[in-house]
Amino acid sequence: MGIQFKDVSYAYKGLKVNYDAIQHINLNIDEKGEFIAIIGQTGSGKSTLVQHMNALLLPNSGNVVVFGQNLPPKKKEKINYLRQKVGLVFQFPEYQLFEETILKDIMFGPKNFKSTEAQATEMAKKAAKIVGIDESLYEQSPFRISGGQMRRVAIAGILAMEPEILVLDEPTRGLDPKGRRDLMAIFKELHEKENKTIILISHDMDLVSEFAKRVIVLKEGLLVFDGTKEKLFEHPDFDSFHLDLPTPLKILKYLEKNVGISYQPKYDFDSLLSYLKEVSHE
Amino acid sequence: MNNITIGQFIPGNSWLHKLDPRIKLLSLVILLVGTFLIPISVSAIPLITMLIIFVGIMILTASSGIPMRKVLNGLRPIVFLLTFTFFIQLFYVKTGSLVFDPIPMYISLTSIVGIILFLIFYNWSKKYIKTRILYFFFAAFMVFFIQASLPYVGFTSYTLYIYDEGLMRAGFIFVRITNVIIMTSLLTFTTMTTDLNYGIESLLKPLKVIKVPVDVIAMMLSLTLRYIPTLLGETEKIMKAQASRGVDFKESKLKDKVVQIISLLIPVFVISFKRAEDLGNAMEVRGYIIGAKRTRIDQYTIGFVDILSLVMAIVILGLIIYSKVIS
Repeated sequence: MGIQFKDVSYAYKGLKVNYDAIQHINLNIDEKGEFIAIIGQTGSGKSTLVQHMNALLLPNSGNVVVFGQNLPPKKKEKINYLRQKVGLVFQFPEYQLFEETILKDIMFGPKNFKSTEAQATEMAKKAAKIVGIDESLYEQSPFRISGGQMRRVAIAGILAMEPEILVLDEPTRGLDPKGRRDLMAIFKELHEKENKTIILISHDMDLVSEFAKRVIVLKEGLLVFDGTKEKLFEHPDFDSFHLDLPTPLKILKYLEKNVGISYQPKYDFDSLLSYLKEVSHE
Repeated sequence: MNNITIGQFIPGNSWLHKLDPRIKLLSLVILLVGTFLIPISVSAIPLITMLIIFVGIMILTASSGIPMRKVLNGLRPIVFLLTFTFFIQLFYVKTGSLVFDPIPMYISLTSIVGIILFLIFYNWSKKYIKTRILYFFFAAFMVFFIQASLPYVGFTSYTLYIYDEGLMRAGFIFVRITNVIIMTSLLTFTTMTTDLNYGIESLLKPLKVIKVPVDVIAMMLSLTLRYIPTLLGETEKIMKAQASRGVDFKESKLKDKVVQIISLLIPVFVISFKRAEDLGNAMEVRGYIIGAKRTRIDQYTIGFVDILSLVMAIVILGLIIYSKVIS
């Protein structure tokens, strides 16, 4: 189960020419326990790729299999239910809010998937709790809270559908450093507690190195790397991906070159700090 | 969503592209007035003038380098209207002499079945036909042809009289609407929105005397045109976002449709306000002041070709009026 891509290509239709967005993608994503980061330059096809995962876009050629459902579907086959199984959070999701109250907006998703009013309310409250929306805000208008809170409400709107796989398109874009870390902590907790597969598009290499287990690199529509982050940062062709190293690795490389502390990959600041303490005690 | 062609400009280098936008607009208005002044009658002069104008427009199109297919595609939204008016004219004008002997028409089991079968065939086959507009006319004709040719197991019948005047009028109105549409679409095909905007602004300038804020209206017009694709893009994004929350825009009941449209409308509304505010600030930061005198980066000068085209348009209008007076 999970999501499989088999030689998938997609091109956007222009007036005269077609623009290839992704080409010949082969990919296998497990139903549980994955934390994947999709990275690549702007225009490399990341957003196009994730929109295939919940059937918003259908491949021009090749096959996507989402929870056993073959895409493109046969005639008259309904695919709407896939969007409950694979929850997709778009860039700047706060723009999709529209209901009168925050709670109603979070309930919108579950209600679309045939939950009763009581069930939907319960699911919405649970989701709101996960993203840290206070109970006193439930009856407020979603247009009268801060941008960071609006984003949390929008993400709760997807979480309330209780998707098996959560896909996030640059969820931390435009947030301040603290908001970024808080939001990532929520996804990490979801991943660790419920063993949910989380797929994340990000440009922030620090977040990728700290949270992701597996990294997929796209370059001009082609999948050029798929593997663990440890392998990615030691990859001999790393420079050809046009990516930046995460800050902890940069610091460690600098220290090795100029201070002579031996290089050991550390992927977040806490482990970097404890490693440096350890070294200085020796 | 992508086939909206308002103000679709096709880049080119023909004389029609280079024509001064003010002259182009003015000539268009004059020619449109001319086309509507031609009286509908069966006598030779109006018919010939109409056909001459039609041929002239075809020559104009050819000289502009716009592919004929694009121009004819502009007719697509009104094909239904054209056919409808054609047949109404044909059936309800009962003066003049008969063109054909009265044609008996049968509404019968066979003809109804025949029409249904033909319509199914039409719907299936139209995918493979390139000249769809012509094919649509053919289909409309066939509906009547089948009624005339399959009389078996009849329920009721009527007789179709086709008078020459009716045929003339129908054809005349048909050509007139076609002319008007092709002329206006030639304008939008060969003129950039900025140029068009300038043309409108300077043609409306006399209204400034009675305190009409012409430059503001022109700016609003050009911004509106400019933001159509942007807002369409935003709408598509919101549609996808709501689809991810389980909204099924394609297949659902009417009751659900209302909620779905609200879930689309409110975000787009909010976004367009936000965009407008951002744009307003951006314009002010760059020194836009309402009512202040502004200079342009492009200077428009009227040359020989411009004057010639305007004179030609006026001459055509004059001839039409003259022919109307003498007849």
